Amino acid sequence: MRHVVLDRWSRGASAVHRRDPRAKIVPLLALLIAVATADRAVPLLAFELVFVLSAGLWWAGVPVLDALARAALVLPFAASFAAIAWLGGDPARGLSLALKSYVSALAVLFVVSTTPLPALLGGLGAMGAPRFLLEVAQFLYRYLFLLSEEAQRMAGAAAARNASLRSWRGSGERFRAAAGALAVLFARSYTRAADIHRAMLARGFEGRLPTLSSGRFNVADGVFAAISSVLPWALRLVAAGSRQGIS
Amino acid sequence: MHIPDGFLATPVWAATDVIALPAVAYTARRAQRAFDEARVPLLGVLGAFVFAAQMINFPVGPGTTGHLVGGALLSFTLGPAAASVVMTAILSIQALVFQDGGVLALGANTINMALLGVLAGYLPFALWGGGRFRRLAIFAGGTLSVLVSALAALSELLVSGVKMPLPVLGLSLALFLVSAVLEGAITLAIMEALARIQPGAARAEREFARPGWPRALAMVSLAALVLASVGVLLASAAPDGLERLGEQIGINSKVRTLIHTPLSNYRAAFLHSDALGKAAAGLAGVALVYCACLVVGRMVARSRSL
Repeated sequence: MRHVVLDRWSRGASAVHRRDPRAKIVPLLALLIAVATADRAVPLLAFELVFVLSAGLWWAGVPVLDALARAALVLPFAASFAAIAWLGGDPARGLSLALKSYVSALAVLFVVSTTPLPALLGGLGAMGAPRFLLEVAQFLYRYLFLLSEEAQRMAGAAAARNASLRSWRGSGERFRAAAGALAVLFARSYTRAADIHRAMLARGFEGRLPTLSSGRFNVADGVFAAISSVLPWALRLVAAGSRQGIS
Repeated sequence: MHIPDGFLATPVWAATDVIALPAVAYTARRAQRAFDEARVPLLGVLGAFVFAAQMINFPVGPGTTGHLVGGALLSFTLGPAAASVVMTAILSIQALVFQDGGVLALGANTINMALLGVLAGYLPFALWGGGRFRRLAIFAGGTLSVLVSALAALSELLVSGVKMPLPVLGLSLALFLVSAVLEGAITLAIMEALARIQPGAARAEREFARPGWPRALAMVSLAALVLASVGVLLASAAPDGLERLGEQIGINSKVRTLIHTPLSNYRAAFLHSDALGKAAAGLAGVALVYCACLVVGRMVARSRSL
């Protein structure tokens, strides 16, 4: 599946991968706010940030072109609103919407592809996010692949029984069959959760997931966080300055 | 319905993030109380189920399919607080791993789908889920959960100044309505199938079977939710009857304001956006009226007990 690739990228050993998750979350927020609040020279700022993020991905050993393509997943939604703004006589706003959402998605991808999700959730927990929510998210991510493959197998089995979706005939029965399949998947998920719960209790689980990482924020993390947080704002100043110079 | 980063105006994403943070912390605490901490795997696995369920397509017409969104189904099976936590976890994973929805917009998406959507899905079931209107309540819950989420998202985009010509707005509303009705039908079909293969799976059903559920409160909350979502879209900018009369006979120009308040003219003066200012003033007004009623109610109750 597609997201397994992201999981593989995040298990690298580069200097960026080794940074504490908090040292990447803080600059991510700084970059997102810098982009979201920018109202001048957005195309130039977007170009600068895409260049810097691409360089960062290359430094981290993440396939740059694949990452750039993956961040484009956000474009169909953004492009439709951009087209509406363009047709409404405001092409600059349309372009700005599409570029801002693309750069933001690329920045999030940079952090997620250099930080394993459990570590990222741990970083969010260290920054004060509710632990209960993060543990639910961690379990969700852990069983996502398993249940998704089960759902795909069920959909494949239905297709093998000629459950075509191309005509109205018998669509009522097919609707009920799909609902039945989901009910079965729900019941299986419920049973699986009970089994997992019992297995974890047998291994001494008391409601908290133990972690092996030290979670220590060192000087290198601090330097990385400081430089990466300032960089997007500096680039924004450069973009705005060059725009003023041109005009 | 997942709003990406870059679409919302700064006051909108900042305000929704500020509102969502304590709201999520509160629901997480409530869910933690309702669910033994060691049962966290159940919530995680059911969150993964909603992801997986979105891969199974339902036939809607020739060559057209739809899929489950899941907020109402989760609220029926886990209760509203746990369902909100699971939906928030789903939205976080979608924003981080699938680039579906933004990180700064996570507050807005959480309010739309994990809080308002789950609550709107749950309330009809709370009102009518235990009686002979059970099927209607499930259908209405599924429909309302998607409709309220979609309308809230649309309102946030409009308040942020995203231009949407009237035909596009109409088309969006029609599509949302179709999706909402489809969600209601899918949720009902799954709940019916679930009642056959795993009776008693609906946790909410067991809870509402208990007497004493504040029905009036649920009904008012449901109405407030729908009005709050649709209000921004339908609110008229025209003056009311008295103001209109004042305009016609020319006394409006002679009106003098003696005391200036932050919420005068039903608009929060500290917010630049007109729509956002009106929305904030409305919410503040509701909160103030609620507090006033609470204080008066307690005073009356105390005087009667003396």
